[in-house]
Amino acid sequence: MQQSPPKFSISDLNLWYGTSQALKDITVDIEERSVTALIGPSGCGKSTFLRTLNRLNDLISSVRVEGSVLYEGADIYAPDTDVIDLRKRVGMVFQKPNPFPMSLYDNIAYGPRVHGIRDKATLDDIVERSLVQAALFDEVKDRLQTSALGLSGGQQQRLCIARVLAVEPDVVLMDEPTSALDPISTAKIENLLEELKKQYTIVIVTHNMQQAGRVSDKTAYFFLGELVEYAGTKELFFNPRDKRTENYISGRFG
Amino acid sequence: MMRIQFNEELNRLHHDILAMGSRVEEDLRKALLALRTGDIELVKEVKASDQIVNAMQMKIEDQAAMLIATQQPVAKDLRQLVTMFKVTDNLERIGDHAVHLAKTVKRLSGDPYPRPLDRLERMAAIDVAMVHDAVASFLDQDEALARSTAAKDDEVDTEHKAFVQEVLAFLAENPGKAQLATKLIATSSYLERLGDHVTNLCEAVVFMLTGAHTELND
Repeated sequence: MQQSPPKFSISDLNLWYGTSQALKDITVDIEERSVTALIGPSGCGKSTFLRTLNRLNDLISSVRVEGSVLYEGADIYAPDTDVIDLRKRVGMVFQKPNPFPMSLYDNIAYGPRVHGIRDKATLDDIVERSLVQAALFDEVKDRLQTSALGLSGGQQQRLCIARVLAVEPDVVLMDEPTSALDPISTAKIENLLEELKKQYTIVIVTHNMQQAGRVSDKTAYFFLGELVEYAGTKELFFNPRDKRTENYISGRFG
Repeated sequence: MMRIQFNEELNRLHHDILAMGSRVEEDLRKALLALRTGDIELVKEVKASDQIVNAMQMKIEDQAAMLIATQQPVAKDLRQLVTMFKVTDNLERIGDHAVHLAKTVKRLSGDPYPRPLDRLERMAAIDVAMVHDAVASFLDQDEALARSTAAKDDEVDTEHKAFVQEVLAFLAENPGKAQLATKLIATSSYLERLGDHVTNLCEAVVFMLTGAHTELND
């Protein structure tokens, strides 16, 4: 099998919140059409790192970034980067489901409409395709015009995934997407990841070590802003190279 | 905090494996003594003890499986638990061979071998030491000890081959003693197999410590 070029190529990435350094010399490649898990204790920099991939940290005024983040070979921190387009291509799903207070249909059509799609038939297609991809369509197809807030937590989270997929992204970033969900909803989303990675590149932050083990192809362990170990998930969970990784995943931390 | 309970359970399992290993080692010593003295009481003891060894194996395996299910160990913790299955499995087989050795005493009682059983005794003595060191290498997480213990299997193999030659020579001189010769060679084979089980156990220990599968003796 021919090795594709990495989706993201990050070199010597440093990030500060004011004077406090949150990421230190991160150099890593993220492979396309795979699931990469980011693990580490709270405050280790994993969510900050995730947000550097679509420049969500820009929204925090004190943030300073050095180093380069190449997305398909182009530095997304270059001055001429179209950040709106970047975030369309690199979508994000958050920890708590955050549907808009509107119908299921309008939640999903929101993004495409912002990007200028008005045709009803086209929007219908997008809504259905996105819900199917997010493994939600069958459960909600008869209530697309009802409020999204009436869905269960697990359904809301899959709706948020469908909303991201509706704008046809290339990469989906997920920040602890199942931490607020019960085991059945979690399993549905984990199964979904297996499907989604055939088409998308997925980077997921998780505090659930078993989840990282189950869903990801590669795992990165962050500690105190450093990338301690980055390896195939099976290898990292069975025979980690670094003692700090071993301690963390075995629960010997702290 | 998960670690505290996990460590307690792990310590208990180590203790149980030590107990199982000690019992198997003791059974092997008794079988060796029975071979030397012809004491039938010892043979009975070894057979009874094997039942306890089997029960110990099941208890350890159930407990290790429970720990995997409830604590979801990873990395070295997981390798250690997986290794326990191999350790107990091999100890159980070694226990069976101790019984075979003990039974030899009965088998030979009606038709004794008119020569010294030095080589069988030497093999059994090496086996006893190997079992002891193999279990110690697991408990102490001592890779060097696991490797050096497995290396001793060569000595067992050498004794086995020499003993087979010796018995064949005896058979050539005493053609009517084919049944006795077969029994002797079978017993020697058990002791040789026993060394292989210790080698397997040592390989499991190296796997536990390094994460790599190794062949310690070809």
